[in-house]
Amino acid sequence: MNNVRIAFRNLNRQKKRSFLLGGAIAFGIMIIIILNAFTAGFIVNVRENFSLYLAGHIFLTGMEETESGRVINVIRDDTVLKDTLKRLGIKVKYLVKRSIFTGTLIFEGEYVLQKIDGINLKKEEGLKDRLILKEGSFNALASDPEALIISENVVNQLQAVLGDTILVKLTTATGQQNVGEFELAAISIDPGVMGFSAGYANLEYVNELLNIGQDKCTLLSIFLKDFESIDSEADRFYSALSQKVNMFDRTSDKEGFESLRGVSMQGEWKGMKYQLLTINDLLSRADQLAGIVNIIGLVVLLILLSIVMVGITNTFRMIIYERIREIGTMRALGMQRNGVRGIFLYEALFLSLGGAAMGFIIALIIMVCASIINFGMGPLFFMLKNGHLFFKIIPAQVILHFALVAVLTLTAVFFPARKAARLDPAHALRTHY
Amino acid sequence: MVIIELIDVKKFYPLGNVQVEAVRGVRISIKKGDFISIAGPSGSGKTTILNMIGCIDTPSAGTVRINGSSTSDLSDKELTTLRHRTIGFIFQLFNLIPVLNVYENIEFPLLLGKEKMDKKEKKEWIDSLIEEVGLKEWRNHRPNELSGGQRQRVAIARALATKPQIVLADEPTANLDSETGTAIIRLMKKINQEQRTTFVFSTHDPDIVEIADHIIRLHDGLVVSEDIVLEERSG
Repeated sequence: MNNVRIAFRNLNRQKKRSFLLGGAIAFGIMIIIILNAFTAGFIVNVRENFSLYLAGHIFLTGMEETESGRVINVIRDDTVLKDTLKRLGIKVKYLVKRSIFTGTLIFEGEYVLQKIDGINLKKEEGLKDRLILKEGSFNALASDPEALIISENVVNQLQAVLGDTILVKLTTATGQQNVGEFELAAISIDPGVMGFSAGYANLEYVNELLNIGQDKCTLLSIFLKDFESIDSEADRFYSALSQKVNMFDRTSDKEGFESLRGVSMQGEWKGMKYQLLTINDLLSRADQLAGIVNIIGLVVLLILLSIVMVGITNTFRMIIYERIREIGTMRALGMQRNGVRGIFLYEALFLSLGGAAMGFIIALIIMVCASIINFGMGPLFFMLKNGHLFFKIIPAQVILHFALVAVLTLTAVFFPARKAARLDPAHALRTHY
Repeated sequence: MVIIELIDVKKFYPLGNVQVEAVRGVRISIKKGDFISIAGPSGSGKTTILNMIGCIDTPSAGTVRINGSSTSDLSDKELTTLRHRTIGFIFQLFNLIPVLNVYENIEFPLLLGKEKMDKKEKKEWIDSLIEEVGLKEWRNHRPNELSGGQRQRVAIARALATKPQIVLADEPTANLDSETGTAIIRLMKKINQEQRTTFVFSTHDPDIVEIADHIIRLHDGLVVSEDIVLEERSG
């Protein structure tokens, strides 16, 4: 207790020096906390935004092998899937059907390869919040069966304007060439993130173009109530489905959003076979990216702290020289070597925790201020939460960084502290600073 | 009863390539309850002898015995424990812990040992020491708020906190004016008479030397004379 008190007061008596050392630690911690909170927030935002764009957290695609041996991407009967969901008690916010194809949009000699999602807008209210329209409105999609929403980049390439009729050339589910007509009903802002750029049309019309039947789909999207339980619920769902229907291996290679069209399916089977994917599978690249950023952040923190630790070691060597007679006195009065070492280590601990706490508070202030700024609906919208930066602090990460700083600071001070503890009391008392 | 014994003690210090002889074969015997002054000019070996008695320095040759036991074979930990239990220190420059107030400075040695004093008993004991040295009103002041004389009084109280058998004072009056210096020595003498604590102090001030009951005079690391004033006075 006495050592703790002395250590605390020692830090207090050289306020400016303690503040500067603590400030250096605070700076490092501040950087890493902001960086980690940003990447964690980035993942949450991207996941949330994509979940709304794709209308789900868990996705099922179906592959049917026809008698002729051809494989068709379609879900004809979703009864088993829905019953299994119900039986497992998985809390579903909503379940929607989509039909997806990639076709060539053609307008007055210009053409663009584009992914088109056939949707039922009435059931996908969340999409309206995330899909930012530059021109036109969602109403057209509800009233005009051939309405099409595409991004401004695609519109620019086609040099089309609202109301223009755009031809689409595609391959039907059964492999025949087909041509349809869309009317440009709205132009969306291109999110431009991770190659995601979809056009939207009416589900029934897309089914007609794909020739798969009116109430069918190529993708079943399940939007869960609990965002955090995606993986565990997906695992349960997959296990239950595997006992009833043919399922593709969940560990099969993912090809990002292309997987939603079932193009990566290999092997031979009879009848229907399903593939289950989650938003986390689709965004594994974003997770990897965040992981890389976090590792870079940690390396930067370690470099920063290493520099700070060299400073701390030198400062403590100086402090020991300044307090040499004090050390001699304490030893003469009966303090054991570990007591002297303890005082300096306590000082280091307080310094590191104080600095880290200061860095954490500054980081919080910066994050709060930054999240107030509205970045609008620009191309960064995908990374933002309704136009604002969103930071997610992960307590375990913060604790880990605090511990890391404490261990490094204690290590930096350990050797000067050991030197102080080993001082000969008579020599220490003779030395004048 | 002999409490401190130095037998043919020598101490060499390396100074570059040369060995400097600070103490050149000293024999001293100090009885329990002595109020003894080690006098001599600068460089005569006073501080070195006090350091060796205080177990903060070891002799290059010869033996130092405290309570009949040689200190030569003790480890650093054992020497530290011996210092804590048996010896109190008063320094020329007071050497108070600057971040602790008067009460805490006196309390400091009591917190170092394994033996723990009851909280209430400890407080009463420290308060009695503060009163003894006349610093009741300065109880919560830090060393930088005290005068030199007051600081040395705190140092005396601190030296007595663990109720040591021996108190060593290295030039306790050197940084004080003569009046305060005399008062400090008289306070030490009062405690010596009341508590039978052995006081060994070094000084080069002839007026201060005279207050001691037993005077050992040093010159160039050798004892040149030894006077036992008390016995002469009482004799």
